[in-house]
Amino acid sequence: MSDEYNQKNAPLEAQSSDTISGTSGTPSKDIDYVRPAELPEQDLYHGHSFITKWIFCQDAKIIGVQYFLTAVFTGIVGLVLSWLMRLQLGYPDLVPFITAEHYYQFVTMHGMIMVVYFLTALFLGGFGNYLIPLMVGARDMVFPYVNMVSFWMFFIAVCVLMASFFVPGGPTGAGWTLYPPQAILPGTPGSNMGIILMLVSLSLFVIGFTMGGLNYIITILQARTRGMTLMRMPLTIWGIFTATALAMLAFPALLVSCIMMTLDKMLETSFFMPTIVQAGEVLDYGGGSPVLFQHLFWFFGHPEVYIVALPAFGIVSDLISVHARKNIFGYRMMVWAIVGIGGLSFFVWAHHMYVSGMNPWFGFFFATTTLIIAVPTALKVYNWIITLFRANIRMNTVMLFCLGFIVTFVNGGITGIFLGNVAVDIPLSDTYFVIAHFHMVMGIAPLMVIMGAVYHWFPLVTGRMLSEKLGKWHFWFTFLGAYSIYFPMHYLGFIGVPRRYFEMYDSPYVASATGLNEFITLAALIVGFSQLIFIYNIVSSLSIGKPAGKNPWKANSLEWLTPEVPPAHGNWGEKLPVIHRWPYDFNVPGAKEDYITQTTPPSEVISAEVEKT
Amino acid sequence: MHPGIIFLGVVVGSVLFHIYTPWWWTDIASNWGAMDDTINLTFWIGGGVFILVCLFMVYCVFKFSYKEGRKVEYKPEDHKLEKILTIATTVGVIALLAPGLIVYNNYINTPKNALQVEVNAWQWGWQYRLPGEDGILGTAQVAKISDNNPFGINLDDPNGKDDILIEDDVLHLKTNRPVKILLRSLDVLHNYYVPQFRAKMDAIPGIITYYWFEPNKIGEYEVLCAEYCGVGHYAMRAKVIVESEYNYKSWINEQETFSDLIAKQENNKLKKILIVKNND
Amino acid sequence: MSDNSLNNLPGGFKGMSHDMGSDQTAFKGVQWGKVMMWIFLLSDTFIFSCFLISYMKGRTSTVVDWPNTSEVFSLHVGGVPVPLLLIAIMTFVLITSSGTMALAVKYGYEKNRKMCGWLILATAIGGLTFVGMQVFEWSKLIHEGVRPWENPFGAKQFGSFFFMITGFHGTHVSIGVIFLFIYARKVFRGDFDNGKRGFFTTMKSDYVAIEILGLYWHFVDLVWVFIFAFFYLW
Repeated sequence: MSDEYNQKNAPLEAQSSDTISGTSGTPSKDIDYVRPAELPEQDLYHGHSFITKWIFCQDAKIIGVQYFLTAVFTGIVGLVLSWLMRLQLGYPDLVPFITAEHYYQFVTMHGMIMVVYFLTALFLGGFGNYLIPLMVGARDMVFPYVNMVSFWMFFIAVCVLMASFFVPGGPTGAGWTLYPPQAILPGTPGSNMGIILMLVSLSLFVIGFTMGGLNYIITILQARTRGMTLMRMPLTIWGIFTATALAMLAFPALLVSCIMMTLDKMLETSFFMPTIVQAGEVLDYGGGSPVLFQHLFWFFGHPEVYIVALPAFGIVSDLISVHARKNIFGYRMMVWAIVGIGGLSFFVWAHHMYVSGMNPWFGFFFATTTLIIAVPTALKVYNWIITLFRANIRMNTVMLFCLGFIVTFVNGGITGIFLGNVAVDIPLSDTYFVIAHFHMVMGIAPLMVIMGAVYHWFPLVTGRMLSEKLGKWHFWFTFLGAYSIYFPMHYLGFIGVPRRYFEMYDSPYVASATGLNEFITLAALIVGFSQLIFIYNIVSSLSIGKPAGKNPWKANSLEWLTPEVPPAHGNWGEKLPVIHRWPYDFNVPGAKEDYITQTTPPSEVISAEVEKT
Repeated sequence: MHPGIIFLGVVVGSVLFHIYTPWWWTDIASNWGAMDDTINLTFWIGGGVFILVCLFMVYCVFKFSYKEGRKVEYKPEDHKLEKILTIATTVGVIALLAPGLIVYNNYINTPKNALQVEVNAWQWGWQYRLPGEDGILGTAQVAKISDNNPFGINLDDPNGKDDILIEDDVLHLKTNRPVKILLRSLDVLHNYYVPQFRAKMDAIPGIITYYWFEPNKIGEYEVLCAEYCGVGHYAMRAKVIVESEYNYKSWINEQETFSDLIAKQENNKLKKILIVKNND
Repeated sequence: MSDNSLNNLPGGFKGMSHDMGSDQTAFKGVQWGKVMMWIFLLSDTFIFSCFLISYMKGRTSTVVDWPNTSEVFSLHVGGVPVPLLLIAIMTFVLITSSGTMALAVKYGYEKNRKMCGWLILATAIGGLTFVGMQVFEWSKLIHEGVRPWENPFGAKQFGSFFFMITGFHGTHVSIGVIFLFIYARKVFRGDFDNGKRGFFTTMKSDYVAIEILGLYWHFVDLVWVFIFAFFYLW
């Protein structure tokens, strides 16, 4: 760097090294020594009016809550759509207004909403915004204004998406994968305005997300507080960081495929459109490649799976560690597993395309890479359960959700090995086995983490605890209900029931599954309605919940150590915190308490035998 | 009740469900028993891991529930254990992958004596074309499709003249003879899938895809479209009848070739001209 | 400062991993805005790569022949078709503007306000010229009947990919030009000398902003080199 830069910061560094060198004089011998600050303090814009404080707000915490609420709203829409689908599948013709067109529109919107507008926005926009600055010890995101614009872009994207329900022809019914040529041809519901709005909405989402994603990455890389080395960051941050990095590199493929398909639809270019004869007429298209779209889509789509999964991995590691009162086992391996999974996820996309008609030789390569990714994933699972071994496990709602996550994730991960192995995939692909697999592994498992995380961080955000009693009811309904939806669903796939079937008619070998379908529908309705417990719990606890006080879980990580709870804008009061250790020092031999917070200097816990981190 | 009991119940319930489930594979009717074997292998290894992980978790939950002042192990890392687990997992993964790749290699290499069957898919139906006596399918183009030429066969290609055209969704196959299914689509993606044969592949407009199998059980099977193709996707069914060599021969002899079709159309045209002339 | 932590770090690969893993910043002494631009450009690289890979796939798999690019893009000078003439000038202008941009960054760090401002203006005019010539080329092709959905010279994907990719790149250049003009005004007004706070941000203006804008500009040029190679030379 240029010299001016150092000179400019020199006075500031002098100032801060005064404060840390403390009593012992020579800084290098002081066991509490932490390198002086490199950067000047961040200036923040403090809102004055209601609008700048709560609506067009530049505080990452408020933006996080805004993201969270918007995502949950779309998630509820997605949930209702899933009920309608299940009603049709379990009890055909019971609801008269569900025609085949509507059914396919529900399928499509449910999938797209849940994957992109719910899970991605919730983990990265919601938890990311709230937790990143707090956990790394920053005052706010590095570009608060851009961060605000990011949310409003997301909001507009959601509005455009919802608008597609009300345009002539309704929303697109192309399946969430939007495969051309079918997505933009008349045989598919919503192939005019519906698909265009969907593509526009996705493009807006990508643009908005890029703004947010740059913030998350740079806050984590360049705005950590003193002492917060990369290997002292909570795994939550590692998960969100890697997921955001994946998103920055994967969303371009989605954007490009959206642009190209919009042009195919509106200008009749032929990027993805070969010569087509529909209803006896040769269309104006010719020479394009439908498989190209699938490659672009899945180059986005597979990392997208990990964009959802990696933050969940990170968060659940932290929750388990805090509530098992034990350090997370193999922290470094956990970090490398997250990064490794993230890197590998760019080389496995075509395992979604084993039967797509791509060059069959790709199957060998992608089956191998896919199964390689199983190794770091399995190691993460081992580390979670080893963390529980010889721990001191609080059996509260948060821990229950973590355990629920482990069960569903292991189950879904193992069915993933079925589908990743190309020869096993061939009979199972495009059947209900696939549906059961991905709902278990990237639907239910991350949801378990989200709910656990809400129970865990609700006291931080609002200053009040959620009701444990209601929480446990909520957990058991959700976990047992969801498990009994998706576990038996695998067996529908074994029978050979194809996915995206509006009705099975009287296929001889499917008749036996009628009872199973009815059961699944009932379970889905119960699970859906049991979320009312959750919503009631949240709403009522806002006013009648037990006051949480500071650090109610006795956690170590930085977000609990703000001077005010809930944290104020700027997070840290006068002085930024200084970090002396990783966030997992629970039950250290020789320490008085069963936890040592990240800001506790070694001189205060002389007797603790802490491993160097 | 201790939550551990319910988690244990979930694991035991899953195993029992698997053992007593009435929902399982349709009886296999092709040579792809090896696929079922790899699924079974994956089931045993994967299911074993699932049970072990869950039982270990349940054990921990029972044994180490919160007690004030319980002594907790402090061991951030254990390289030896991590190494053992990595190696064990890698070995398990290789054990799953290797047989899978061998089966897949068979799947993409069609035997030389395979009977070619071209499947034409459109929204929403199927039709078939079989090579005639020369054993070669004539070239065809989607753009050439018309009422007179429902498969879009190139008129200049002599190989196409004796092709057998089946403008119906029932396909007959003979037992114990490998079949290479060549898939063409006129409009959007489709997938010709018979659960009992295990095999499947998408039909893509613009290119020809393939897969092969060897039907080995006489019977009637339902064909399902397994790639979402628009609003009629769920209704896009057809039928495959696997029969003995003798029955197959008599079926195929009844079918029309492309030159028959042309001749018929010429006849019709002549007839029409005659009618027109007579009316004058 | 003797204890300047930026100067006491180990070198080589070890130093790099030490830096990356250390506290506060992973890239020592690099401003937030600059890291942001680098990562944004990395993301943008993926966008252009997806476009260009799709183009290669489209070009190699089309059933109709691709038009002869040296004829389609040629310019008639005195009745003689000269291939690559216009495009050579365009490329030359754009690369030159990269040079002026680099000089502007240099003079910016030297706090030479005038030179910096004029060089930014020169860069902007270079960019504007490039966009203008692109408009000329588009209108020439459109005049000859090339459209996104059809192409009298061969495969219709030619028109689609050409207009889409050069259009996307042209949009990048245009956005860059707009920002260059805004920054030129800021330089002349002295915003970067007195650390005036921006309209949307509470951060002080600094000449590093010129370098960040320069990164974007060089990137746009670099992308053009690839587009040039894949569209005009292939």
